[in-house]
Amino acid sequence: MCHAPAPHTESVTVIANERVAPGVGLVVLEAPRTAASVQPGQFVHLRIAEGADFILRRPFSVFRAGGGRLEILYQVVGRGTRVLADAEPGEGMDLIGPLGNGWRVVEGTAHALVVAGGLGAAPMGMLVEELARRGVAVTLAQGAPTGERLLARELFEATCRRVACATDDGSFGACGFVTGLSADLIERDRPDVVYVCGPEAMERVVATQAEAAGVPCQVSLERLMACGVGACLSCVVSTHHGRKRACVDGPVFDAADVLWEASEDPEAHPAPDPKPPAVAAPDPAAPGRGEA
Amino acid sequence: MSAVDMRVRIGSLELRTPVMTASGTFGSGREYAAFVDLSRLGALVTKGVSLHPWAGNDSPRIAETPSGMLNSIGLQNPGVEAFVANDLNWLATQDVPVIVNVVGHSVEEYAAVATRLDAEEMVSALEVNISCPNVDAGGMVFGTSCPAAAEVVRAVRASTGKTLIVKLSPNVTDIVEIARAVEAEGADAVSLINTLLGMAIDTRTFRPKLARGVGGLSGPAIRPVAVRMVWQVAAAVGIPVVGMGGITCAEDAAEFMLSGATAVAVGTANFMDPAATVRIADGLERFCAERGMTRVSGLIGAARQG
Ligand SMILES: Cc1cc2nc3c(=O)[nH]c(=O)nc-3n(C[C@H](O)[C@H](O)[C@H](O)COP(=O)(O)OP(=O)(O)OC[C@H]3O[C@@H](n4cnc5c(N)ncnc54)[C@H](O)[C@@H]3O)c2cc1C
Ligand SMILES: Cc1cc2nc3c(=O)[nH]c(=O)nc-3n(C[C@H](O)[C@H](O)[C@H](O)COP(=O)(O)O)c2cc1C
Ligand code: FES
Repeated sequence: MCHAPAPHTESVTVIANERVAPGVGLVVLEAPRTAASVQPGQFVHLRIAEGADFILRRPFSVFRAGGGRLEILYQVVGRGTRVLADAEPGEGMDLIGPLGNGWRVVEGTAHALVVAGGLGAAPMGMLVEELARRGVAVTLAQGAPTGERLLARELFEATCRRVACATDDGSFGACGFVTGLSADLIERDRPDVVYVCGPEAMERVVATQAEAAGVPCQVSLERLMACGVGACLSCVVSTHHGRKRACVDGPVFDAADVLWEASEDPEAHPAPDPKPPAVAAPDPAAPGRGEA
Repeated sequence: MSAVDMRVRIGSLELRTPVMTASGTFGSGREYAAFVDLSRLGALVTKGVSLHPWAGNDSPRIAETPSGMLNSIGLQNPGVEAFVANDLNWLATQDVPVIVNVVGHSVEEYAAVATRLDAEEMVSALEVNISCPNVDAGGMVFGTSCPAAAEVVRAVRASTGKTLIVKLSPNVTDIVEIARAVEAEGADAVSLINTLLGMAIDTRTFRPKLARGVGGLSGPAIRPVAVRMVWQVAAAVGIPVVGMGGITCAEDAAEFMLSGATAVAVGTANFMDPAATVRIADGLERFCAERGMTRVSGLIGAARQG
């Protein structure tokens, strides 16, 4: 957020580390200093391991924070996250954080739509908790390839007023993409704000939907990062106001400011097809009914 | 505090420790002020500054490689006026010598930036970057031919009385002849090495990992190349050499000084450890103390004497 305290380095200890979905883990870190100051949507730059293969830290959103601990939801995609998945309780690491601007929550927000695709759930934990704390009615639209990959379901069910899900294979919720749900929910409910995180192609579709409806939209963007503190210009995002650094000017951007054509998603896996789902979205008030 | 005299001299500039930051890896210092007491640095070397704003290259701009990384930032910077107004005015409040890295698309642009910075009392020295592999016009083009390197240095020398450091490219057949050419034009020191031209390809997508295709390799992977070049250049010129390339600890810094460097710069290591510079400066002092040395300058070129 705007008045985020200066980042620091903190030695942290793994408290727990469990697989929560295929290829996805949740690591809990004892990190009192960071846990006390991190804001929703901020991230930490984690030194998972040392050695020739790890010249750079790895950036991860803070999923939840409290009681001196940080929770990070991570997907195993490469060398660093493989090592992270093997980390045992008691192991030490260090992080730089909290980093980035975080989500902006405007006074007077009554109804927020949160759209999370896949690992896009990661920066949403703290956000939905903060929104709920402020009495904002939260609708969550969540998408994943399969039902078992819908992350953090318990937290979202407990915290959000409504939860709507879509899966590529229809194994849970609507069959199709989360963008089908968001199209409906933006059009029908006209929320005060839309918060989006997921694959960039999906973020772009939701941003277009929000813009068409005249609803302000914030997106969290990923870029390859070296320093994480604004010094190296590795992580730039093209915007209407020039190239901005995702690590300090982001990772959260006003969707209307982003030049999507120019921007480059670092995720190597091919972007999902942004066309609407093949099957109509279910009633978001009644989540959890498979439609395959 | 310690018995070791850590001071070294580059041109008219006295550094309180030989350890400085490497251009482009430390922003303008402000970004690292939460982690590093800037007054403990030998000098702060800024990112490259051009006459007009440069947008830099497209993303992705970096790729991790074995013991190193590739970057193709492309010298994105807001131009010298914005740099003076924002970065330099902030640095003026800090107790650290400032060395500004200067870039240009043409000899005239280098000279114009140097002229502008000559008027700024805050600037202790200029580091003329004729070695960036990440821009098409200018940059490394000037650093890979003796006449072109000489021409840039002559023009900049005529534009400023400040200490002039020339940053050399390793992407040449013979770095010694370039070093000699810039020394002859009045350079007060040379710094080396800038990044080595490299490339990585993603075998999943069949595409280069960097949007620009090629980029500059930095980090521990390049250290032996850099040490060799410092060794060769230090033997061939009479001006001080600033050594860099993959320094991550005090022993690495000492290795460069033993090979002939008067001072050293730390780049990529800042990304892993934001306090790397002061950790290395403290470690270097300890390194000398443990060996009963009273002056860090005793390390300079000591590998050659036997
Ligand atoms: C602000 C931010 C927040 C993030 N939050 C999360 C999160 O909460 N959970 C999660 O699972 N992932 C998150 N990511 C992505 C995560 O950083 C990468 O998946 C991770 O760095 C991959 O490391 P690796 O060593 O396993 O992969 P490798 O492919 O071996 O990594 C090689 C290099 O590429 C970088 N890299 C690879 N993929 C990405 C990517 N998508 N984004 C940025 N850098 C990448 C790595 O940091 C490393 O430097 C976030 C990225 C950013 C920028
Ligand atoms: C991200 C990045 C940006 C850089 N930008 C510049 C620059 O603007 N000007 C310059 O002269 N060198 C630049 N360099 C080169 C470094 O200053 C240094 O010469 C090189 O990285 C080798 O040192 P290292 O291995 O310690 O990083 C850059 C290097 C990196 C990694
Ligand atoms: S990662 Fe270095 S500026 Fe963003």
